[in-house]
Amino acid sequence: MNIRRLALLGLFSAMLMGPTANAQIKHIEMRVEGMT
Amino acid sequence: MKQHIGRQVGVQKVDVNLIDGKVDVTPKEDGQIDPAQLLKATYDSGVSTAEMDITASGRIVSSGSDALVLQTSPSQSFTLSPNDLSKDLGSLAGTTTFVTVKGLLYKKPPGKKKSDLPTSLNLSITEVLKKE
Repeated sequence: MNIRRLALLGLFSAMLMGPTANAQIKHIEMRVEGMT
Repeated sequence: MKQHIGRQVGVQKVDVNLIDGKVDVTPKEDGQIDPAQLLKATYDSGVSTAEMDITASGRIVSSGSDALVLQTSPSQSFTLSPNDLSKDLGSLAGTTTFVTVKGLLYKKPPGKKKSDLPTSLNLSITEVLKKE
């Protein structure tokens, strides 16, 4: 029974945390002036 | 400048092209990088940033005052400058849909040789790359 509960908890956690893990800045590009 | 930027939190790699003045910053895996800190680091190294573009993914959230926000992490979000693309994304506000967008985060005001650092950064979306 406990194993089943843990599995369900893991499943819900993955559903909630999965998309959050994908949210991020992936790349930054700058154009600068005055560089020597 | 490369060292200045490379020392910032969340920066994995910095590529500088001296010919066209382009600086590519690759964040670390966790993506926890602060663009404002990069602008400051660039400024502190004596170089002026003309433009900053980012590619980011996150959820669209309504900030309550009709403004939309791209939430890239629980502690980081960018207010979207209103344009046609941001209006299209408005329907996704508050949903679990993730979007990956490219946009202009900073542009130096015209006519100034060296401008002060901006107090806030708004994201003007130029391309919606993915919705999932």
